[in-house]
Amino acid sequence: MPPTRPTVTDARLVVDRVSKRFGGVAAVDQLSVSVAPGELMAVVGPNGAGKSTLFQLINGVIRADNGTIRLNGHTLTGRAPEAIAALGVGRTFQTSRVFPALSVWDSVRVGQTVSLIGGTPSRRRFDPVTEIAAALLRPGGLKRRERALDEQAEATLKLFGDRLWPRRHDRADSLSYANRRRLEIARALVDRPSLLLLDEPTAGMNPTETNELADLIARLHAEHGEMSIILVEHKLDVVRNLASHVLVMDRGGRLAEGSPDDVLADPRVVEAYLGRRADGSAGAEQTT
Amino acid sequence: MVDFFSQIINGLAIGNVYALLAIGFALVFGVANLINFAQGSLFMLGGYLTFTGVSYLGLPLLPAALLGILLTTGIGVALDWACLRPIQRGPRIAPLLATLALAVIIDSTAELVWSPNTQGFPNPMADQAWTVGNAFISAVDLLILATGIVCIVSLTLFLKYTWTGRALRATAMDPEAAQQMGVNVAAMRTLTFGLAGLLGGIGGVLIGLYYQSIWPTMGIPFGLKGFTAALLGGISSIPGAIAGGLLLGIFESLTSGYLGSLYRNMVAYSLLLLVLFFRPQGLFGARGLDALGGAQAAAGMVPSTSLMASAFSPVTSRIYTLAGWPALAVLVLAVLYPFVADRTWEHIGTLAAIFSLLAVSLTVVAGSAGQISVGHAALFGVGAYTAALLGVACDLPIELLLVAAGTMGAIAAIACGVVAVRLSGHVIVMATLASGLILHSVFLSWIDVTRGPMGVRGIPPPSVGLLGGFSITDNAGHYWLSLAVLALALFLTGRLLQSNVGRTWRAIREDRLAAVAAGVPAVRYLLMAFAVSGFLAGAAGALYAHLLAFIAPGDFFILASFIVLTMVVLGGLGNLTGAVFGAVLLIVLTEVLREFGEFRMVAYGLVLLLAIMFRPNGLLGSK
Repeated sequence: MPPTRPTVTDARLVVDRVSKRFGGVAAVDQLSVSVAPGELMAVVGPNGAGKSTLFQLINGVIRADNGTIRLNGHTLTGRAPEAIAALGVGRTFQTSRVFPALSVWDSVRVGQTVSLIGGTPSRRRFDPVTEIAAALLRPGGLKRRERALDEQAEATLKLFGDRLWPRRHDRADSLSYANRRRLEIARALVDRPSLLLLDEPTAGMNPTETNELADLIARLHAEHGEMSIILVEHKLDVVRNLASHVLVMDRGGRLAEGSPDDVLADPRVVEAYLGRRADGSAGAEQTT
Repeated sequence: MVDFFSQIINGLAIGNVYALLAIGFALVFGVANLINFAQGSLFMLGGYLTFTGVSYLGLPLLPAALLGILLTTGIGVALDWACLRPIQRGPRIAPLLATLALAVIIDSTAELVWSPNTQGFPNPMADQAWTVGNAFISAVDLLILATGIVCIVSLTLFLKYTWTGRALRATAMDPEAAQQMGVNVAAMRTLTFGLAGLLGGIGGVLIGLYYQSIWPTMGIPFGLKGFTAALLGGISSIPGAIAGGLLLGIFESLTSGYLGSLYRNMVAYSLLLLVLFFRPQGLFGARGLDALGGAQAAAGMVPSTSLMASAFSPVTSRIYTLAGWPALAVLVLAVLYPFVADRTWEHIGTLAAIFSLLAVSLTVVAGSAGQISVGHAALFGVGAYTAALLGVACDLPIELLLVAAGTMGAIAAIACGVVAVRLSGHVIVMATLASGLILHSVFLSWIDVTRGPMGVRGIPPPSVGLLGGFSITDNAGHYWLSLAVLALALFLTGRLLQSNVGRTWRAIREDRLAAVAAGVPAVRYLLMAFAVSGFLAGAAGALYAHLLAFIAPGDFFILASFIVLTMVVLGGLGNLTGAVFGAVLLIVLTEVLREFGEFRMVAYGLVLLLAIMFRPNGLLGSK
């Protein structure tokens, strides 16, 4: 059985009976899940289980057919992605999406739009006309704010050691594959989200790079105590090392939920993952 | 007395021609993923080649028409081979502009060969018509309907039931997968351009019969209507193209019957804009839009990478820009220019400065924000009319007129932008095109205010409030005024593009989905880009109106939009130095080519085509 889960009132994220159908396929089917402040939850499951759809729904890129999603008491369902980002959701994409022609530095600064101009739930700091006037005149207040954001961006880039900071003036599309994924994480992280969604951050990375990134995520989790992280990941050893809680999805629903060791040993999970019953040595190996 | 059924039959006949053209657009769009603006020119050639067969070779109409249509088909294939295939791996905007250059070359060659005048087209069945009830039906109507139906049915059967048709459809859906399956994709492309040429040629002959006349620029209005029909149906769907064509034909026919032919175009393009607003994927959906990030991306449901992202490929050549001291040095030289130039060249210099301002305006929205606008000349026109009408009505300093024209330009741009920002990829090109055409027809038909085709005359010379109401009457004065406005605009725009606002625009251009996920309110920023761009275009219009003292709707037609777009692409999208460079180059080129006399437009088109083919990222690089 799942360990003590956050109740609806103290949870950071509450997904409540959310469904999304594409044609005849229920990509997400009556799914309910909640994440506590500071929790790192992993979502695993076979391809097509609805993991990425869940992210798209939380982030507002696609709209749920029914059900509600709440973050820190704000209803997310029905809001546009930029409004959801302003409420504190940062995300990366399964196929990395950097801004190809922007420099590393500019890419990260784009992630601070909400801090610069405000947005739900706080009031916008500028109306469009004042924003253009401010961009042309650079009043002192704006300069000070930009300087603070510069420092924040620098600190975020330096989290990645010498991977990104020395390359801050390079175009994003000149980066290596692994560095693009790091840049995406930096962009999602820089505005201090209260919920960070990482969609297969180690996909396509070699074991060294995977370990390095897993260490980084562990460090982020430790340093940003209040930030909740949801991680979609296929590499089960990464899941085991990082996550305190695991949700297993299959066919749009919840197959199992609980601590990594319990859940990954669950025969149903092994079957869903490997497509066979956990009666042989393969299953046993998976769960050790 | 307008008879309803006569209008419907008339509309169906014209609609059939639109449908043939629309199918041509849809086929080429599906297979080659490009909008072929030369389709209208092929249509015109079909008419002219048939006319030549009859008038010069003495052939009977039918063999002449078959020969003409066959030749048009061949020309369609040849254009692809010679000009479009070599750049199919370049930025996506390059083939689009190349087809525009081809249209200019073909249309102006036709004027050279057959004279710019309207020619009578032989029609042996001109007198055959019947009255059924109250409806008036002519033999030509029936011929067009019959030909249209035969073409459509045989094409549908061909696509549906033959191996080649299947291979063609496979290529349209996924060229790489089709190639893996052994489909000769290059041959399919040839077939597509051939079919488009064939349908265009047939349409040209039918229209020649219908109007009993042909003229060299007939490709532009009919090409635009065919394109509109294709969009109405959903650009890549053949049944949609047919339905769109018929719908457009009937709608237009009813409009000109009951409201007057002046409103024909305005209503047609408003219909398009309305459809794009509520159903961006067209009336019949469009599954073939996957190349643009899927039909959903085209529909704006999942905002995705814009058309321009591909224009900023990593192979972009070095970017050349001027800033700081070198820019100041160029400015000083530009200020001194009237001391060495004669009156003619002072005038050319003023035009270059005004068009530079217009190019800067376009590069904000098309280059930095990545929203290709093909209706920009209309915003220029809004500014020009605002300044002209205010200037004629009351005595205002030019500073005030510039602000008023800029504000009206910004308002018009926001109105166009409201539709455009919901769209992406090629669809946005169409929305801005439609907005531009609607504004142009407003200039033309709102006679009480704009004086229609007569234009506004007697616009007073600008008086400069800062110089105590000093009135500018000489060419050097006009030049310095335009230069001062341009320098100020360049300084402010440069500052804006370096700020957070410019950075956000570039991020939206590069990857809109990633930008909104990072918290960027994309619609707000895109509307800001449209507003800034519209303000600059409006101000340029004010300078233009006061320079020429006379403006007419023709100055702000779609051709002017294309020329400004070419300036911007030629200079390098998103590059302010490039925009000015492109504008000066093209204005000077137009002057230099005057020596070629009537070959001028052909040479102009050729230069554009070569520049696009060999420097698709612009002469100074995209930014």
